[in-house]
Amino acid sequence: MEAVMTGLFVGVLFGFVLQRGRFCMNSAFRDAILLQDNILLKTVFAALLVEMVGFAIMDSVGAIAINPKPFWWGANLLGSFVFGIGMVLAGGCASGITYRFGEGMVGAITAVLGLATSGYFTAAGFLKPFKANLQEATTIPGADGTALTLHGLLGMDYTVLAIIIVLIALLVWFLISRSKKEECEADPGWGWLNTGILIGIVGILAFPLSAAAGRNYPLGITAGWINIVQVIFTGATINWIGLLIVGIVVGALIAALISKEFKFRFPKPLVLLQTFVGGLLMGFGAVTSGGCNIGHLLSGIPQLSLGSILAGISIVLGAWVTSYVMFVLPQKRAE
Amino acid sequence: MTDVKPTKTLDVCGKICPYPDMNTMTTLKKMEKGEILEVLLDYPLSVERIPRNLQKQGHKLISSEQLDGPNHRMLIEAHGLK
Repeated sequence: MEAVMTGLFVGVLFGFVLQRGRFCMNSAFRDAILLQDNILLKTVFAALLVEMVGFAIMDSVGAIAINPKPFWWGANLLGSFVFGIGMVLAGGCASGITYRFGEGMVGAITAVLGLATSGYFTAAGFLKPFKANLQEATTIPGADGTALTLHGLLGMDYTVLAIIIVLIALLVWFLISRSKKEECEADPGWGWLNTGILIGIVGILAFPLSAAAGRNYPLGITAGWINIVQVIFTGATINWIGLLIVGIVVGALIAALISKEFKFRFPKPLVLLQTFVGGLLMGFGAVTSGGCNIGHLLSGIPQLSLGSILAGISIVLGAWVTSYVMFVLPQKRAE
Repeated sequence: MTDVKPTKTLDVCGKICPYPDMNTMTTLKKMEKGEILEVLLDYPLSVERIPRNLQKQGHKLISSEQLDGPNHRMLIEAHGLK
């Protein structure tokens, strides 16, 4: 079996878990301010901690060599902020719209079309010079010319710092959950912690398998859709991340069929236009910043890349500003 | 089937995230205490999210049943803030 084929396998697992776990970072960030609902946010944190443990162990035993993304402060700030705006308009993050593609949600399909189109033109088309110039002009490299990371900045070993962060996070988590009375929030489906752990495990699995296929990085979304565009229109060969995307759609489709949740759902034409425009902003933003919510947030933060940490913050800010304007403000005016 | 007669019906099928939740909450806000809202929806995330956020506003979920495929029918008793 060719090494790239593992992308398909990891993708099917990822798609299945995304669909059953309802994992979406757009909902995670938006719901925290819109509905005061933090369940998906807790899932994101759980997944990050699980990945951090996995990456730290694998890096220290030599199973992987972490490959944090560079720090391009201007590109990270602008690109990810635009991405955050886009995902609220699109009604889903990059992984969210990809798994809902497999569920038959037409609004997600048009969002994916937008993401793939602008992603392609930013990576290889007319927007490429803008992106490349912004990245180059705002680069701050680490001491030895490598990517700027938290452990590099502190002069620490990656594994040691990652484990310290996980331990501190667990301690804070323990103290918060002890001080708060147990909220008896109904948490149907898989439960937030199980979903978070499973997403983390898929991320851990992805790293060495993707590296074996010549792509030394864990999960990503946007680059996969761009690869699919190139396979269709320019005759490129499909790579690991492209197959990952095919797998996610198939995995989500299988999960939706099993749970009888597959159905083509058509929103109004104006909404389809809105999700397409959202997708356009997401594709441009992700490629400019060097990653979407998966490439930066889920895969980059556990590697302690400062670029990914900044991108993550910027995605959340973009999503919050947009959610406030689109949903919170109209509600306040109505009251 | 629950034999409670709904006062009002809200159909949010086909709507994208987070409109099923938003429309349900704003409709409930305008209803009198004890009135029953019937919600028809087909978005799996909201099927799980609406029940866990209802109680924060004091509304009560009477029932949630899966019809065919992802289509669900929810019956909610409004808290009556107005």
